[in-house]
Amino acid sequence: MFSVDNFFLLMEGFATAMQPMYLLYALGGVLVGTAVGVLPGIGPAMTVALLMPITYSLEPTAAIIVFAGIYYGGMYGGSTTSILLNTPGESASIVTALEGNKMAKAGRGAAALATAAVGSFVAGTIATVLLSFVAPYVAAFAVQIGPVEYVALMVVAFLTVGALLGSSVLRGLASLGLGLFIALVGFDSLTAQQRYTFGSPFLADGIDVVLVAVALFAVGEALYVGSRLRHGPIKVIPVTGGWTSWLRKDDLRRSWRPWLRGTFIGFPVGTIPAGGADVATFLSYASERKLAKGENKKQFGKGAIEGVAGPEAANNAAAAGVLVPLLTLGIPTTATAAMMLVAFQRYQIPVGPQLFESNSALVWALIASLYVGNLMLLVLNLPLVGIWVKILQIPRPYLYAGILVFAVLGAFSVNFTPIDVIILLIVGILGFFMRRFGYPIAPMVVGLILGPIFESQLRRSLAISQGDPVALVQSPVAATIYVVLIVIFALSMFLKRRQRQFESMVAENADAPDVVRASAAEPETAVVPTAPRTPDSREDTDR
Amino acid sequence: MSTSVQNAPGSGTAAAPGKPIGELIFALLIVSLGVVGFVAGAGIQTPPSASDIGPRAFPFAVSAMLVVVGAGLVLQVLRGRRGAADEGEDVDLDATTDWLTVVKLAGFVLLHAFLIVPLGWPIAAAILFFGAAWSLGARPWWRNLVIAIVLALVLQFVFGGLLGVSLPPGFLEGLGVFGG
Repeated sequence: MFSVDNFFLLMEGFATAMQPMYLLYALGGVLVGTAVGVLPGIGPAMTVALLMPITYSLEPTAAIIVFAGIYYGGMYGGSTTSILLNTPGESASIVTALEGNKMAKAGRGAAALATAAVGSFVAGTIATVLLSFVAPYVAAFAVQIGPVEYVALMVVAFLTVGALLGSSVLRGLASLGLGLFIALVGFDSLTAQQRYTFGSPFLADGIDVVLVAVALFAVGEALYVGSRLRHGPIKVIPVTGGWTSWLRKDDLRRSWRPWLRGTFIGFPVGTIPAGGADVATFLSYASERKLAKGENKKQFGKGAIEGVAGPEAANNAAAAGVLVPLLTLGIPTTATAAMMLVAFQRYQIPVGPQLFESNSALVWALIASLYVGNLMLLVLNLPLVGIWVKILQIPRPYLYAGILVFAVLGAFSVNFTPIDVIILLIVGILGFFMRRFGYPIAPMVVGLILGPIFESQLRRSLAISQGDPVALVQSPVAATIYVVLIVIFALSMFLKRRQRQFESMVAENADAPDVVRASAAEPETAVVPTAPRTPDSREDTDR
Repeated sequence: MSTSVQNAPGSGTAAAPGKPIGELIFALLIVSLGVVGFVAGAGIQTPPSASDIGPRAFPFAVSAMLVVVGAGLVLQVLRGRRGAADEGEDVDLDATTDWLTVVKLAGFVLLHAFLIVPLGWPIAAAILFFGAAWSLGARPWWRNLVIAIVLALVLQFVFGGLLGVSLPPGFLEGLGVFGG
């Protein structure tokens, strides 16, 4: 039951979000978000990080609405890239890239874009409704938990983000450890002792989170892409026909069920820290493939519209799901959510279980702006796809040079000292090597942001128990959380393994059209892959 | 991320080409950061009044994590299991590493840091953009220069002038619209 109180609060949120000024901020946010989602090399996490120091003059509500727009917009833009660009993108969107890209090559790019956009809208809206229903209840539960339970929740967040957001568990944990270490530099907040400052006054205040995030995302990415830039023309598949004729009756008939299924797969997966949208899109793709029948099934691997509709919906629903732990517990489970958390901190908004009580007007304005932003994104994405295609064609040297300029702008704006630009470069070089050697970036950012909160809660817990560590697992709630952690872990490891096998099988099939037909004829082998592990993937056996 | 369309069987490798020396050094650096964490952590003063575990315990725990995980990675790399280099739309995993470009890009960022104060932000930013675009292979040079100048002026106007970010305007000092 959705309480009347919450309904009124949501309506008040709409009253705020619908003010012309805030509508403009939301529009700006979704425009920037879509643009960065479309552009390779820039993600929503990096954009929020870059904009943070240079939007200090905005008031908190406006800034949060802009960042929410970027967050949702980035999800929409990504599908355009994977459908129209002829190069394989990140693995999060690999399944969409596969089916959508095949559709585009077969001249059905418009239908793929339309089903992705409408599916994202449907999923985004339903998931935002779910968020409005679920979040107050989680928040009501969250205010009752003590530091011990909070520690348990953060352990879950650390381990799942560290171990699951990447292909190698050890590298994820190393990345997490680096983030925790950098977060330690500076004054200890409880005893005011200097830690790891090595007597340097520059390190005494700690290394700014935004600076590290911009360095890792922007400078690291620019250096890494620079080291292996794909040369030659950018092959964008042209889209033909007016946008009104994109979704034919037949397409719609085949799309609506995958949209809904994707939504209800994506939202719950997003709320639990189980590897983010990656797992959600994979689950949706696998189930669509299994459920398809006859002619439609044969199209999988060659451009099945269900394979775009479902995963795209799941991706957006998961993005809304991620907001549940972020807004109710203050626990980010993706890099973008982590940057949103920093945005809250920057504007002196206390994150954590108290957020819904202490800043309810702001939270509900944020949720209302998500509804508004979703509608804007649907309108922006269908008729304006031509503009996004143009953005996709920006010459890469200019794109990455521009990213560097924005990065130094953001870094300099943190404290207005050139030393920050040098720190930016050093951490950026670290980010370059991390990318090169397969260390995921997101765990480091999450560790950097959650580390100080975790330490203070841990010390509070141990102060209450007078140093007895057993107290950390004695509370029934905390013990339950740890058990759930083990379950999530086992399930996610299993899913990841499946996904990897599945992706390699799909990739093989895509290269050899005959195999698709063969595997489509045998439904069992198509979904429960028995394909041998690829000899080149050395990471598979990582523990 | 280890298996994808690109590194499906028969098309290139999942890891960075070449010997894993760099990767080994990186893993060893993680171990040594953990060791430094222990050594420097021992020097953290603990006030006698501390009622909790004090400011040292958590740094030690993080250092231990770095040492253990780093050692595990060293072993993995020695046993031939290597990391899968990051993928991306603009990344050509089959290309050999272009170290010269990396050095040039890093050099221009460093140069920028030293130019902001003496020359002002717009000129320093224009030089960075021009240099980075040139390093990444954009030609002809005059087009890079025009874009660099326009971009720097627009950014200075929007952020310095409109949003009130205190970017030193350099030669634009005195023109109110560019902030200061």
